[in-house]
Amino acid sequence: MRSGLGGSDGVNKISTRGKMSNESFITLSMFIVIIVVIGFASIFVPNFYRPQNIINLVTNFWYIIALGIGVTFLLITGNFELSVGGVAAMTGVLSVYFCQSAGTSPNVLANGLGLPYGVAVALALLAALGIGAINAFFVAKLKVASIVVTLATMSFSRGIAQIVTRGAQRNTSLPDVYGVVGNIFVVGSLKLAVFIMIFFVIIAAIIEKRTVFGRRTYLIGANMQAARLSGVKVAKHITILYLISSFLAGVVGILLASEYISGTSSRIMGVEFDVLVVTLLGGTAIMGGFGSVIGTAIGTVILAVIASASTGLLLRPEWQFILKSVIVFIAIMAQRFALSRRNL
Amino acid sequence: MNNNVLEIKNLIKDFPGVRAVNNVSFGIKRNTVHCLVGENGAGKSTLIKILTGALPKTSGTIILNGKDYVANNIREARLRGISTVFQELNIVDQLTVEENLFLGAEDTFMGFLRRTDKIKRMIDVAKSLEPSINPRQIVSRLSVAQKQIVEIAKAVAMESEIIIMDEPTAAISEYEVERLFNIIRSLREKKVTVIYISHRLDEIFEIGDYVTVMRDGKHIGTELVSKIKNRSELIKMMIGKTLFESYTPRKLQDKPILLEVKNLKNDKLKDISFEVRRGEIVGFYGLLGVGKTELAHAIYGIGTYKGEIIYNGKKLHNSPDKAIEAGIALVPEERRTQGLFTILTIRNNIPVMNMKKISRSGFINTRKEIEASIKYINELKIATDTIEKQSSKLSGGNQQKVVFSKCLFADSDLLILDEPARGIDVGSKSEIYNIIRQLSEEGKSIMIFSSELHEILNVCDRIFIMYDGRIKVEKKNGPGIDREEIIHIVTGV
Repeated sequence: MRSGLGGSDGVNKISTRGKMSNESFITLSMFIVIIVVIGFASIFVPNFYRPQNIINLVTNFWYIIALGIGVTFLLITGNFELSVGGVAAMTGVLSVYFCQSAGTSPNVLANGLGLPYGVAVALALLAALGIGAINAFFVAKLKVASIVVTLATMSFSRGIAQIVTRGAQRNTSLPDVYGVVGNIFVVGSLKLAVFIMIFFVIIAAIIEKRTVFGRRTYLIGANMQAARLSGVKVAKHITILYLISSFLAGVVGILLASEYISGTSSRIMGVEFDVLVVTLLGGTAIMGGFGSVIGTAIGTVILAVIASASTGLLLRPEWQFILKSVIVFIAIMAQRFALSRRNL
Repeated sequence: MNNNVLEIKNLIKDFPGVRAVNNVSFGIKRNTVHCLVGENGAGKSTLIKILTGALPKTSGTIILNGKDYVANNIREARLRGISTVFQELNIVDQLTVEENLFLGAEDTFMGFLRRTDKIKRMIDVAKSLEPSINPRQIVSRLSVAQKQIVEIAKAVAMESEIIIMDEPTAAISEYEVERLFNIIRSLREKKVTVIYISHRLDEIFEIGDYVTVMRDGKHIGTELVSKIKNRSELIKMMIGKTLFESYTPRKLQDKPILLEVKNLKNDKLKDISFEVRRGEIVGFYGLLGVGKTELAHAIYGIGTYKGEIIYNGKKLHNSPDKAIEAGIALVPEERRTQGLFTILTIRNNIPVMNMKKISRSGFINTRKEIEASIKYINELKIATDTIEKQSSKLSGGNQQKVVFSKCLFADSDLLILDEPARGIDVGSKSEIYNIIRQLSEEGKSIMIFSSELHEILNVCDRIFIMYDGRIKVEKKNGPGIDREEIIHIVTGV
């Protein structure tokens, strides 16, 4: 067995390179799609090409990318995560409720617990982690289908937001400090939240590509049984991912509530499906084992360009759904088709 | 005109590197129970797959009722009158018995099901075979034996002339075996010929009219069962002259004990105890379903058990990651579903069982990872031009070498190999046996679980012969080892 070690005999030279990986292929092709879509929009929509407009349309969707990080990691392991929107709304509402001053007004919705801002945020994030723990318990421990579990927690967390706000919103008797973090402008129109999102994406991309944790995420999605037999602690790993995902959703919820200085129960309603769409658009396989956070970010930009261009074209809002669905559907189909042709 | 329902002439089937069926000719008489026996890898399954249309033949002819017979799939075979009751039953658990009976043969009127005479007749046939089965019952509630009977009934109801049964008794109780045999006997009256495959030789004397023995892809003989004196004669035909085995005995009694298993029990295992020494290769031999895989899994920390497993002086915890940490690695039975990450590259497959070796504080060192793959590709001679090849695109033998590389990379002292050479070509097989020998020379202990005797005799120092969840006999390997006796034990005496 010591023979031919290192291949230095030159007889059997093993290349360390293959053709471009499927992932790079998808990312690159989606990048080309972005350029094409922006090109088209610039031709047909007045002033679309302006850099400010392009920057705006990306930054307006920062929360979809931030929520997409956890969703992408989980989808790579072969698990759905649909509770992010509900968790974000719940965390925002709770942070407001915890922070509102206590017993100052006869109006129920103006009365909170009067906790200091930092404590209120910490407790709200803890509640978010609680939802993540519920997801993890049922999916990783009890092996319930993730789509069922996270559909339930999606409604459950949204329901808590509804109860705390009586189906409306809480936006009075808040200390001034509450509105600060969501309204810091770092450069021009770019809010702090956008930089926090970029920071998270960079960290996530490094974890995904460079660490053992990231590698194990792919192993679980590629073959869960083989992963277990190869010593991967599958349940623990999925638990960590659900906790991370709900924590990120919590952070998004707090930033949004701070931006609007209001805890609204219907905040980013239905966003979990947009997040799923951009994740798929970014090339993550619905069966797991394949995908990337950068892809999800690119997918979000495509969605943002389409949404913005259709508004610019003065399409009536009801038609925007059709346009969005057709383009997204064609894009994902084309991607899968290209991938299967490539791997023949 | 002879009364052969089926005539096989000069049948050949080649796989890359192997001739699985080598110029086989024999006939099967009408209304008989014709048994087919041979060791694993003798070519029985391949022959059956050709008959049922699952595989195309390379050359030769098959004549059914005097007419040339070719089937391209199971459905075509069935239409020509050859049905099969497979080991993995072809039955839909969520449907009722009668829905299963006419599945694929429904009569419809504008899309709605109709209960025509044909369907009533099918239900009658099923009832006549086994009155205890209610046609309205959901199949998932039935036992394996009852499900087999539903399949047989379906075959009879579709007026099959030949029913092939592939190890029908492997997974059913003794009482059910008797009932199955009564049904097989009654099939003769229904003008059905049965081709019966089993490793349990006693069954052949009980139920068979004729027996055909195959060995190494060749037809050894077809005899009237009544003309065969006893099991020994049959076994001699199966194993032939003692082949040269490349095993040479080694002295290992003085080596320290690495693994000790005491009174291991679970629903499949019945009180198993043994020990493995350092540098030793031990084999566990037995038919399918005797508990080999369950034993391998128990040691590796999958599944529950009572009893003790002591490795290197310490009790093992019940989880694979703990087993790997302790120094144990498993090459699982199912390469593609349990061993390999088929959608990932060779480079991404090899280090997975020991990520610490290619990382520092959680960050992967790509250079080390690449070096590791190159090392094992060279050492195990994995046929590929690049480490970035997707492992699904490798041949079976090379895939198995990747799985071996995974385990070797884990730097374990005990390797558990569950059917290590199943489904791979002859060349890769002998390479894998050489790897196993070299590993043991390097001081690693190896446990091989196999249903192929020659494989066990080829490399193992000691052999544990398993039957029905127990270790029946322990034997030292050596020139004088009695293969006949071993086959007697595993086929149930």
